[in-house]
Amino acid sequence: MTGLALVLPPFFLLVFFILVPAAEAVLDTLRVERGGQIVYSLVRYAEMLRTVSLRRSVVFTILVTLASVGVTFALAYALALYLRFSKGWVSTLLGALFIIPLFIPTVIASFAMVTFLEHHGYVATLLHTIGVEDTPSLVFNATGIVLTEVWASIPFATLVLLAGLQGIDDALIDSARDVGAGALRTFLAVVLPLNTVATVITMSLLFIGILGSFTIPYLVGGNAPQMMSVVMTNYFTNYLRPDISVALAALSFVIAALAGAAYVGGVSHRERGAV
Amino acid sequence: MSAVSAALRQRAGGLFWFWSVGAFRRSLPVLFLAGLAAFILGPLLSLILWAFAGRWFYPALLPQEFSLKWWDVVFGNRSVVSSIKYSLMTAPTVTLLSALICLPAAYAFARFQFPGRRFLLLSFLSANSFPKIGLYISIATLFYRLHLMTTFWGVVLIQLMGTLLFMIWIPTGTFRGINRSLEEAARDVGASSARTFFQITLPIAMPGLLVAGLFAFLAAFDEAQGTLIVGSPNYITMPVMMYTLVLNYPQPVGAVFSILLTVPSLVLLLLAQRLLRQGYLAAGYTL
Repeated sequence: MTGLALVLPPFFLLVFFILVPAAEAVLDTLRVERGGQIVYSLVRYAEMLRTVSLRRSVVFTILVTLASVGVTFALAYALALYLRFSKGWVSTLLGALFIIPLFIPTVIASFAMVTFLEHHGYVATLLHTIGVEDTPSLVFNATGIVLTEVWASIPFATLVLLAGLQGIDDALIDSARDVGAGALRTFLAVVLPLNTVATVITMSLLFIGILGSFTIPYLVGGNAPQMMSVVMTNYFTNYLRPDISVALAALSFVIAALAGAAYVGGVSHRERGAV
Repeated sequence: MSAVSAALRQRAGGLFWFWSVGAFRRSLPVLFLAGLAAFILGPLLSLILWAFAGRWFYPALLPQEFSLKWWDVVFGNRSVVSSIKYSLMTAPTVTLLSALICLPAAYAFARFQFPGRRFLLLSFLSANSFPKIGLYISIATLFYRLHLMTTFWGVVLIQLMGTLLFMIWIPTGTFRGINRSLEEAARDVGASSARTFFQITLPIAMPGLLVAGLFAFLAAFDEAQGTLIVGSPNYITMPVMMYTLVLNYPQPVGAVFSILLTVPSLVLLLLAQRLLRQGYLAAGYTL
């Protein structure tokens, strides 16, 4: 019971300042006045799902999030594999490099990406110098959001995957190589299955983080379609429809909860296996 | 099956013929490094150039004229200077307060059995999953009632919420990784539980706790949405100020301010780089 007493202070903070306000906000979206009486109804959610621009935003958000998670995961896995299995100056430099974005505030990362990728930005200037004129637009659209999300997410993903890889015994890899498995086969048959927990953690937490991110899509995204977090803010401040804004937030929370369930499933699977 | 895979391999061999060229395979890591360096450092270098650019028109690779005039503009703006002050006040306060509240909880999660332990531990994942803008009205109402709106402690409190996950999960993983027999040995020779904690457990856990503190600090330092809701117009921190600068000022002003905003975290980077690779983060997320 001492344990419970020590755990309650931060839990009460969470309940009092996040969970209760969130529940209040969502309950408020369900209350509708009908003939002078307050009744509970899903009309606002129906309205939200009927609005074409909002439906597009939900689909766009999920697609951009999945693309960002996919690209980050592939890059971070390659990085983690190299850092785990290679020694030398390339490995040392990669190890110093991949951590840098963790320390750059997201507002700065987004702004830096804009100066880098914009029309007549640094990438365009470099391409112009080598004679390429028709550069596709890289920013203020989905490409810009994905690139910036990947940039900002690489350190976390690589750290978690690398720690997972460091937990794999060298002897297992050596024995796979001894019986004649090539690098690819060893990776698919030995490394990948042994690193499942790290994989699930990385993917689900990247998904939750990117889905809810506001700064990056706000500064780097385009006019339409926009990600849900930006649309929520617009509905709140510009269209003066806080109810729709909260309904969208609730939907975003439900989608995040699905990824949370994947995380819990992936991690408990390991605990059962360990016992 | 094997015929299919052989055919696939042959096809791949045709497509990826360069894979069998030894020089290509050897230079692949270097190419990967160069590509990643361009991707990660490119935007930052472009930012640094902008901060010192007096005049810079496309398509010149470097500014036509270097100048420090934008630095004067930034430092001459009183609200910019005060935002630096507020950020440097709130983020460390949040980190310390978060440690004070969360570390005992983390120790309990790692060492004690109690009903609902796993549920309570996982519940902290929800702290960042509900978009802040959706909480705007209920948070504002609550903070008004508690007289926390537009106050220093209101900002501290809202930023604290974003640090709970890091300050509980990472230390829980760290404490759990410490061999119990070390603590038991100290108890056996007569040390009190408090003394055991401060002289045995805490020093061993310190690197993991520092990693947690680092993540908490960065989360607090980076927080903009909640701070904007609770703090403005009295407490504008650096990231909140940055929105105004990015959207309303010429590009070099944002670049100068970006460099200022990055300095505190870069100091942390230099101090913490070694710690980060030791697996404390992952241990916290594998609960």
